[in-house]
Formats: sequence, structure tokens, C-alpha cells
Amino acid sequence: MTLSLFDQFLSPVVCWIPLVAIAITLPWILFPSPTTRWLNNRSLTSQNWFLSQATSQIFLPINPPGHKWALLLSSLLIFLATMNTAGLLPYTFTPTSQLSINMGLAGALWMGVVILGMRTQPTHSLGHLLPEGAPALLTPILVIIETISLFIRPIALGVRLTANLTAGHLLIQLTSTATLAMLTIMPVTAIFTGILLFLLALLEAAVALIQAYVFVLLLSLYLQENV
Amino acid sequence: MLSRLQAISVKVTDPFVSLSLVQASRSLQTSSQRLAPVPPLPDHGGKVRHGLIPEELFEFLYPKTGVTGPYMLGTGLIVYLLSKELYVINHETIYAICIGTIIVYGVKKYGATVAAFIDSINEEKVAKAQAAKDSHISFLTEAIENEKKEQWRVEGRGMLFDAKRNNVAMLLETNYRERQHMVTNEVKRRLDYQIALQHLNRRLQQEHMINWVEKNVISSITPQQEKESIAKCIADLKVLAKTTQAKAAA
Repeated sequence: MTLSLFDQFLSPVVCWIPLVAIAITLPWILFPSPTTRWLNNRSLTSQNWFLSQATSQIFLPINPPGHKWALLLSSLLIFLATMNTAGLLPYTFTPTSQLSINMGLAGALWMGVVILGMRTQPTHSLGHLLPEGAPALLTPILVIIETISLFIRPIALGVRLTANLTAGHLLIQLTSTATLAMLTIMPVTAIFTGILLFLLALLEAAVALIQAYVFVLLLSLYLQENV
Repeated sequence: MLSRLQAISVKVTDPFVSLSLVQASRSLQTSSQRLAPVPPLPDHGGKVRHGLIPEELFEFLYPKTGVTGPYMLGTGLIVYLLSKELYVINHETIYAICIGTIIVYGVKKYGATVAAFIDSINEEKVAKAQAAKDSHISFLTEAIENEKKEQWRVEGRGMLFDAKRNNVAMLLETNYRERQHMVTNEVKRRLDYQIALQHLNRRLQQEHMINWVEKNVISSITPQQEKESIAKCIADLKVLAKTTQAKAAA
């Protein structure tokens, strides 16, 4: 079956059965749950090590009340990283390339931290609307700008992830289409395009992990402000 | 792969799924059915060839088709899919070749390093426990040696007591001798005093008697006697002088 450029972004359906649920639960299937054994096999040991390192790194600058978010943010990191990297394989559907999923995650979590901040320490949270050390004359303008930037955060979070992944996948599609098309006509150019595709794939692998980390890092920063 | 099914039947936490799996694969399970102690995990996972295909497939096909059987099966399958256009070569194929190269290269180059690192995490755990155990054992061994030394010291306690006893006995003896010596000295002193007193008494008596006798004698000498004695003395002296002169002349 011939694939058009945007077929990879369609929600996967087989005989009208939506497979998006399987795509989203993929990370849960891939990671073994911890056992009661003292020494585990390599996959479990590496998973535990990575999780403990990542969580301690992310939560180092956050006050103790914010450590309740550790489970949420660390599982979010694994979720996003796995979905991003699984989407690098051919013929896969990447749920995080859909705006619906990313906006759902970003909007809900951002709103959570803001409401938490506003309820527990409203003065402190509202104080973030005026950065420290700003001259007194600029106060009205600064508050407006900071309010706008506050409300743009969920959109930025969601769209950043979506745009990065969609753009990457699209570029890969385009480059590989170009390579295939030129393979019979101009093989040398096809080879160069192939090298470009190779580098692009490497970049996409990096972007997949970095974007997941950035998402979680920004959320932890918003949490740090508000908790 | 089939050995992993046994492992899964232990690992899956949902009771319904795990029970049904256990029941379904009961004919395949070869280890004894025990709950405790927990059977140890196998050291290595199921063997795979080319990183993907389990070894069981090759062993399954070996009797009928020999060594090249599975490879012929794989090649034939791929050629069939391609020729019947069940799998269409499109842009994703090129990308699949690309990402496949990257993944294989990554695993081949960094696989061993990552595995060694993960093994080192486990080994550090074991080493820590071993170090704790070793330190405790060495502490206890030292305690045993100290105890043995103390026991040896206790044996010498008798000698120590004997020496002390001797010491004390010597002190007592010395003290006794000293006191005896002192007693002797004191007694001698008192006796000497008495002797000196007696000597003094005797001397005084003697002197007194001599004085009395002399006084009496002197007082008894009459003047007549005195003259006679003096004349006799002079006469004697004259005789003596004559004899002397005679001796001198001779």
C-alpha cells in the first residue's frame, strides 16, 4: 500500500478497531515491574538505576512539599521518552506527535501546578508575575507580560513537543522519499541524501529523548515556582 | 523464549492472568512446583541468534532441514513478501534500513560497555554486603584472639600471685628483722647504761677510798717521821752519788 506523507500521523485503525490504546500503553508493557529480589537482571537494574538518577536530578532544586510529584513526573518522563523513541521505528505511530495528547498532558499538569501554587501560597505565586530587580516604572507592563507568558506556558509545552516530533518525522519521511525516488535516477545524489537521512535519524533519536526531558524539566520548574 | 514463559508466569502480578498462564503452560513447565524458597533466576536469558531469533527455532528445524533450514525459510519468506508485493518497498524501507543500521551499530558498539556497567551496579551491592560480612568476621576473629590472649594471661595470674606473696613475705620478714634489730639495740643500750652506771659507781667508790686513804696517811705522817725520812733520803742520795762518782771514775 502506498503511503502518503501524512499517513503516519493518522490514528491507527485496523478494521475500525482503534489501536491508539495499544500505542499509548506500550511503555507500560515494555518496562518490567520491580521484583522483591535483592539482585535483579540487567534490564530491571538499569531501569531502577536510571529512574533513581533521573528523579533525584529533577527533584534536587524542588522543596520537600513538591516531592509528592516525584511519581507523576518520573513516570511522565519514561512515558514520553518511550513513546518518542518507539516512534523512531519504521511503520509506527507516535502518540506524542498528536496535539491532542500533548495538550492534554501539558494543559492538565500546568493547571495543576498553578492551582496548587495559588491555593497554598497565593502571594508567593502572584509575586512571580513581577520579576525581582525590575525598575519600578516598568511594573505595570511587566505584570501584563508575565501574565501572558504564564498563560502561554501550556500551549508552549504541548506545541513544542508536538512540533518537534511532527517536524522530525516529516523530515524523515521527505528525505527517505527523496532517497527512494532518486535511487534509480541519480544514485550518487541518493547516497548523499541517504547520508543526510542517517544523520537525521541520529538527530531524531536525540530529539526524542531531549524533548521528553525538557517537557518534564519545565513542569518541574513550574512546580518549583509554585510549591 | 519458552523458558521466558516460565519466568513470566512468576513475574506477572495480576493473579487471574498469572494463574491462567500457569495452568495453560503447566505441561511445559519442567521445574518442580514450589512456592518457597523462590527459585533462583537463570543467569542468562534465552539464547537468541542474530539478536532476534530464538535458538529454539533453529533446533526445531534442524532435524528436518539441517543447518541452513531456518535461513532458507527466512530468505524465502522475504522474497515471497517482496515478489507478491505483500510488503511494498516505499520510503519507509529506506528509513528502516537507516534506523536498523544505527540500532545494530549502537548495540554492537556500546552493548558490552552498558552491560558491564549494569553488572558493576549489582556487583557493588554484593561487594558492600560482602565487605560488611568480612568486617564483621574479622572483628569476631580479633575478638576470639583477644579472648585467647586473656585466657593465657589468666594462666599467668598464679605466678603473679606467687610473686606478690613472696614480695609481701619479704617485706614482713624485713620488717620483723628490723624490729628485732631495734629491740636488740635498745636492750643493749639500756644494759650499757647500767654497766656505765656501775663503772661510775665503782670508780667513785675507788677514788673516794683512795682519797680517804691518802688523806689518812698524809695526816698520820708525824713531823718526827718526816724528818727521819728526809734524813734517810739525803743519806741514800749521798751514797748513790758516791757510787755514781765511783762508776764514772772507773
